[in-house]
Amino acid sequence: MMSESEIITAREAGFFLCHDCHKLIADVGEETPERCPRCNAAIHLRKPNSLTRTWALVLTSAVLAFPANILPIMKVDFLGTAEYSTIMDGIIYFFTEGSYGIGIIILTASVLVPCFKIIGIILILLSIHYKWKTWLRHKTLLFRAIEFIGRWSMLDIFVIALLQVLVNFGNLTSIETAIAATYFTGVVLSTMFAAITFDPRLLWDA
Amino acid sequence: MSSLKVHINDLLACPDCDLLLEQRHLEPGRKACCPRCGHVLYAPKRNSVDKTLALALTGLILFIPANFLPIMTLDTMGFKQAGSIFDGIRVIYESGYFFVALIVGLTSFAFPFVKLFLLFYVSLHLKLKRYPHDLPLFMRWYRHLDEWGMLEVYMIGILVAIIKLHHIAHIHYDFGFFCFIALLFVALASSVSMDKHEFWERIEEKPA
Repeated sequence: MMSESEIITAREAGFFLCHDCHKLIADVGEETPERCPRCNAAIHLRKPNSLTRTWALVLTSAVLAFPANILPIMKVDFLGTAEYSTIMDGIIYFFTEGSYGIGIIILTASVLVPCFKIIGIILILLSIHYKWKTWLRHKTLLFRAIEFIGRWSMLDIFVIALLQVLVNFGNLTSIETAIAATYFTGVVLSTMFAAITFDPRLLWDA
Repeated sequence: MSSLKVHINDLLACPDCDLLLEQRHLEPGRKACCPRCGHVLYAPKRNSVDKTLALALTGLILFIPANFLPIMTLDTMGFKQAGSIFDGIRVIYESGYFFVALIVGLTSFAFPFVKLFLLFYVSLHLKLKRYPHDLPLFMRWYRHLDEWGMLEVYMIGILVAIIKLHHIAHIHYDFGFFCFIALLFVALASSVSMDKHEFWERIEEKPA
């Protein structure tokens, strides 16, 4: 462990860190360049309006999660009768069929991961708001986990895209995307953007 | 504040917790992590530019067959239906879900291609020691697109679809399937072999 006196941040030392290429730029007051001399990205000490943007995006995804889970995501036509199924129906189908492994994968990607992301980001935001200074390393790890798993929620959408292409036997049977796919994609996008707009350094600044 | 006597180029800051650190030379294969929050600061690779160039070029060659050739054919009661990755985007578009089609198209098709192209372009120029003015811009685009290319998620999607369908129909794996698997591994290897830290330093050190 380092002693308190050794810990100095780039901000305290008077350096900007370029968001894009991670170059250090010395803060020389008025003379400080507005753009990174190496990659030409705009220079900020922290991501601009990080907390407001992240709150807005994470709340958007929480709202979109309702129609995404309640409305049908897939329409199966079998001999002329249309049957709609929600995300949960698909998961229950796998469990009743006995394909537990695949059921758990879909359950994780479509339900647990989005919940984990939304709750995790809200927890991190609240911890900044109320200046909870404990567990900082763990909260940073939590954020990195959220960043990493973000993209995996697209799984269900890709599966439906493939099923729609392959299961298309005219009047016999066919599979089509249904309305919840739009909301679900919205959930994935807004949680991914929430992770992008969030600046984990704000946890440590408090 | 003794660290301030060190030159700015020998310092680096952790992007996750802003800790200011002294940069040390590392042997390829090792990695430097932030002592405060654990973020991987840099991880030098051996022959990063050469490897990235070779893998990105291979990926670009595999890209067309992997996306446009049928990945599998479903055979049930005399009916046959084949489909490619690109067909997946087309059918969603045709059924009227433009937003979903757009996102699927970008994440499974456009972004993986652009990522491979950017890696190829940047590593080729670094290899030839040429420094066109758009090199930093392309590196930035790569950084922002990195997480939006979702080939590995799509691969798991293919596996889920196979498990879902193998009860109801016979599945033939077509040439596109094997191209897609190869593309996935090459694309993953190309992003792993690319040492961002070294790439940026090389761009910066360009002879004036």
